[in-house]
Amino acid sequence: MAKTMDVIREIFGLLFGQDPELRQIIGVTLRMSTLSALVSALVGIPLGVILGSTEFKAKRFVNRILHTLMGLPPVVAGLIVFLFLSRSGPLGTLKLLFTVTAMVIAQIVLITPIMTGLTANIVSVKAPLIHETAAGIGLRPFQRMLYIIYECRVQFVSTLLTGFGRAIAEVGAVQMVGGNVQFKTRVMTTAIMMQTNMGHFEFAIALGIVLLVIAFLINSLVSRIQESAGLA
Amino acid sequence: MISVRDVLVQVGGRVILDIPLLEFEEGKRYGLIGENGSGKTTLLRVLAGTLLPTQGQVTRQNPNNFGYMPQAPYAFSFSVLRNVEMALENTPERRDNAVRALEAVGMRNFLAARGNKLSGGEAQRMAVARMIARPRKLLLLDEPTSSTDIRGTDSIENTLLDYARNSGCTLIFSTHSPAQALRLAQEVIFLHQGKILEKGPALEVLENPQTESARLFLQHWRI
Repeated sequence: MAKTMDVIREIFGLLFGQDPELRQIIGVTLRMSTLSALVSALVGIPLGVILGSTEFKAKRFVNRILHTLMGLPPVVAGLIVFLFLSRSGPLGTLKLLFTVTAMVIAQIVLITPIMTGLTANIVSVKAPLIHETAAGIGLRPFQRMLYIIYECRVQFVSTLLTGFGRAIAEVGAVQMVGGNVQFKTRVMTTAIMMQTNMGHFEFAIALGIVLLVIAFLINSLVSRIQESAGLA
Repeated sequence: MISVRDVLVQVGGRVILDIPLLEFEEGKRYGLIGENGSGKTTLLRVLAGTLLPTQGQVTRQNPNNFGYMPQAPYAFSFSVLRNVEMALENTPERRDNAVRALEAVGMRNFLAARGNKLSGGEAQRMAVARMIARPRKLLLLDEPTSSTDIRGTDSIENTLLDYARNSGCTLIFSTHSPAQALRLAQEVIFLHQGKILEKGPALEVLENPQTESARLFLQHWRI
């Protein structure tokens, strides 16, 4: 019992103390996840809007590719980015391997298809109704597209936060291209894995709690936004 | 005048609309009747240009001055007033015209309500207000009262009649109700399996259908 209390005390000490490594790990994690979610949203959401609201010949084929990429195993994404950024790879001269930038690139490869797919699904439900109604009152195609985006805005924010949640929980790809370098590319997930392997469970649990709290805050934010928009 | 020539609409190899020739006179009111899947919505969509036929052509005299209200009109998440204003040019009279249109369909008290919070019937009344908020040469309405109660239906029918008479616009609407067709339309077009089986003055078609399909459709209804 006394030992358990010691462990709990240590966990709280880490969480609310001044441990520089823990703070640095949380900082890198948030920076990497925010940046990769934002860039993925900037690319993925517009692509999803186009895919969900337009009809073209190769749409089925494009959807099949997209669904495959949505299920891309993180280690495969990590491997591809690793090969591109490694010294002998096509982008080796940029010397990005084992940097936060490399981790962000790997995350973008993973998250963008997910954001595109989610957006396309949302838009494909609403777009036909909006198109038909807006065309019926004489709005031009560009105006119709703006109204589609406006009507899906809340879901787009949810998509962005889903991407952030995916990024913050990712381990395989960031481990491969980031290398889990202390005070540089170590993030919460890779740190939890390493600390667990080393038997430092207090540190791993403290990080796990931080991850859970962030996940809870994201979910609360999504619900709040949906409620305020009258969608929940 | 609006004319439909040699129009064929196929979906997955199945013909859902086949009209060799159909002409609508300017200023007249037409009711499309027929059972589910008879092609009423498809014909309205082809007339509105939101569905391109597999072959054939539609000619409208005033190609841009028309309004089309789909079966399930979308109610945007902003205010009811803005939902109607969006159909109008940005002029100083915009607000007044939108308010007047909403008043006509009994929605004066809903100006600030959110469109996406309306009931099906209210959304339909708001969509009718969008149609009548400005002068149009042609109105295409797909079952404009399918979700409204008796009072709402009455209000919409009276509003449409007033609007059509005052503006001289051509009104083409679909309905499942022969009684509504009789109240609103001067001419009735009976569709069956994508083809026009009967077309003529409302009372004539509804009282003395010439085809077996129309007789079957109308047998449960007495004027």
